[in-house]
Amino acid sequence: MTAPAVAEPVVRAEDVAVSFVGRDATVNAVNGVSFTLDPGEVLCILGESGSGKSVTLRALMRLLPFRRARLSGRIEIAGLDVMAMSDRALADLRGTEVGMIFQEPMVAFDPVYTVGRQITETIVRHEGVSQEQARRRALDLLDRVRIPSPERRLRAYPHELSGGMRQRAMIALALSCQPSLLLADEPTTALDATVQIQILLLLRELQREFGMAVIFVTHDVGVAVEIADRIAVMYGGRFVETGPVREIMRNPRHPYTQGLLASTVHSASRGQTLEAIPGSPPDMTRLPPGCAFAPRCRFAEPGCETPPAAIQLSPHHMVRCIRAT
Amino acid sequence: MNAPAQSTAGGASALLEVRDLRKYFPVRGGILNRAVGWVQAVDDIDLDVLPGEVLGIVGESGCGKSTTARLLMHLIRADAGRIVFDGNAVRADDAAGLRELRRQMQMVFQDSYSSLNPRLPIEDTIMFGPKVHGVSSAEARERARELFALVGLDPAQFIRRYPHELSGGQRQRVNIARALALEPRLLILDEAVSALDKSVEAQVLNLLLTLRRELGLTYIFISHDLNVVQYMSDRVLVMYLGKVVEIGPTAEIYQRMQHPYTEALLSAMPSMDPDRRTETPPLVGDPPNPIDPPPGCRFHTRCRFAEDVCRRAEPRLGPAAGEETADGPAAGADHLVACHMRVAASGHSLAPAG
Repeated sequence: MTAPAVAEPVVRAEDVAVSFVGRDATVNAVNGVSFTLDPGEVLCILGESGSGKSVTLRALMRLLPFRRARLSGRIEIAGLDVMAMSDRALADLRGTEVGMIFQEPMVAFDPVYTVGRQITETIVRHEGVSQEQARRRALDLLDRVRIPSPERRLRAYPHELSGGMRQRAMIALALSCQPSLLLADEPTTALDATVQIQILLLLRELQREFGMAVIFVTHDVGVAVEIADRIAVMYGGRFVETGPVREIMRNPRHPYTQGLLASTVHSASRGQTLEAIPGSPPDMTRLPPGCAFAPRCRFAEPGCETPPAAIQLSPHHMVRCIRAT
Repeated sequence: MNAPAQSTAGGASALLEVRDLRKYFPVRGGILNRAVGWVQAVDDIDLDVLPGEVLGIVGESGCGKSTTARLLMHLIRADAGRIVFDGNAVRADDAAGLRELRRQMQMVFQDSYSSLNPRLPIEDTIMFGPKVHGVSSAEARERARELFALVGLDPAQFIRRYPHELSGGQRQRVNIARALALEPRLLILDEAVSALDKSVEAQVLNLLLTLRRELGLTYIFISHDLNVVQYMSDRVLVMYLGKVVEIGPTAEIYQRMQHPYTEALLSAMPSMDPDRRTETPPLVGDPPNPIDPPPGCRFHTRCRFAEDVCRRAEPRLGPAAGEETADGPAAGADHLVACHMRVAASGHSLAPAG
């Protein structure tokens, strides 16, 4: 694989915010997320349910219900201004430059068409090659994602495949036009342990082979450690800490990151009481004006009532906590 | 088999004793809606639960762990098998006996919302069980308040709330209170923390261990999360496609596992160290379909040690044979495994000599 000539970031997001306006309340799902993603880099967004991680991912592709969602900020993908794009241009971008995979492959596939037809259709739609060429590419893709007897699987309907197979087929579909960016939303969460690790290793291998940049959303620290170059910890709609995976695992600086790692059960914890974070995740319709974690934080002080600024501990390690200075 | 099955707990006397438990679900099809196949969800399993212990049950989806839990609770009827609770055999046609069993044995499910009545304040849900069992309203209300305090919810603030007004972690605390309302001796926790966020999961696990200590409870803890099972359990039972493949003390299972499936399952756990990432997947492919599972050892289709004997004969659960290994002596009497490699002279080339 040749490296891209210019090291321009694949994604540049600046102050992205998403809110969902309802009749009774407004949910502030994402509250000012900024980051850049280099070509071939794997960024994991790690957060609990309701932290805004999936909404951030969807916002990058403007895949939000346009009636209810308010999206602001700047988003650039492969040098293109996503916020200014027409629907038509967006549809072209999805699938060529950007591939997406989800937790539930049954949603990504149309149940009434065969897997092969859907993959070839995508290739024909975006690249304008002949049916026969597209079919050969689809076959090759199923082979690449290690689906046994790919000829037969091309003729299968999505429901005829097992969970792991469907996930592989969805990865093949997402990679069909060789995107430079892959967006993955908890793609291994619904899988069994022995299948999950196969899919993670497959994604890691394909990422290297295709030189793709990946944004991988997960709630599972173990999964993030297996796949990420860089981790962004999300809480209350903000990146509260970002840094290289080693830095985050060995030297977490935000009290939430520290709490999350301490409360994650691992083999060394038997016999000890777990250091649980008290309370529950915040109500996104009523976020506190300052640090969203302050109500659960044992280090909270009066200064936490103003929004914490991003503090650069090193060129690659950012944390939003007033105690970090 | 007419010989009395041996204890799976190394001889100690059990609170719950299960022998040859079996449940097949028919797969219907065709115009006559006849059974065209059978899902062998639970196939002749034996297990013992000792008083005061936590028995963990692990396995992948479709291995039969949740069906086992439902069979033990008599929520579904077993096709065959014997269940003895505290020395008394439980019969499916004995209504009074079942009622007594369900008082002594309660269950907490994964979905905290669907196991509470959405139209009842949670206090009423908790009072319901005791009232059915003949406790007066006043007394049941008093007990509900005590239970709320016990699971860490302030009674004054919570008792009149409805389930939708609670967070997932709070709802699961209510479910635990509901399960404890009849003062059971055994709780079956079926993926009870799996739907919770990590920060909340830790709170609920701490609560469960405190309750166990204070009330002298016994748990059957079912989960797909091997880290959580290791944290919670005294002994662990590993299931694969309706069969018990290995059972033993937690440390034995996690450090000196005898079955190739247990080994694969454990090495599939994501590493928490960025410098020691998993490099090769321990198994290839998906678990096979539990409808008409493979003959012989059910794991042979994915096992790298599989030989002729594994396809032909089904291995029985028994103590692992073999003399001293580099890591010490072979497994103890309370560590049982179903693998031809661990049976002397079984015909497997890696089995110890007879």
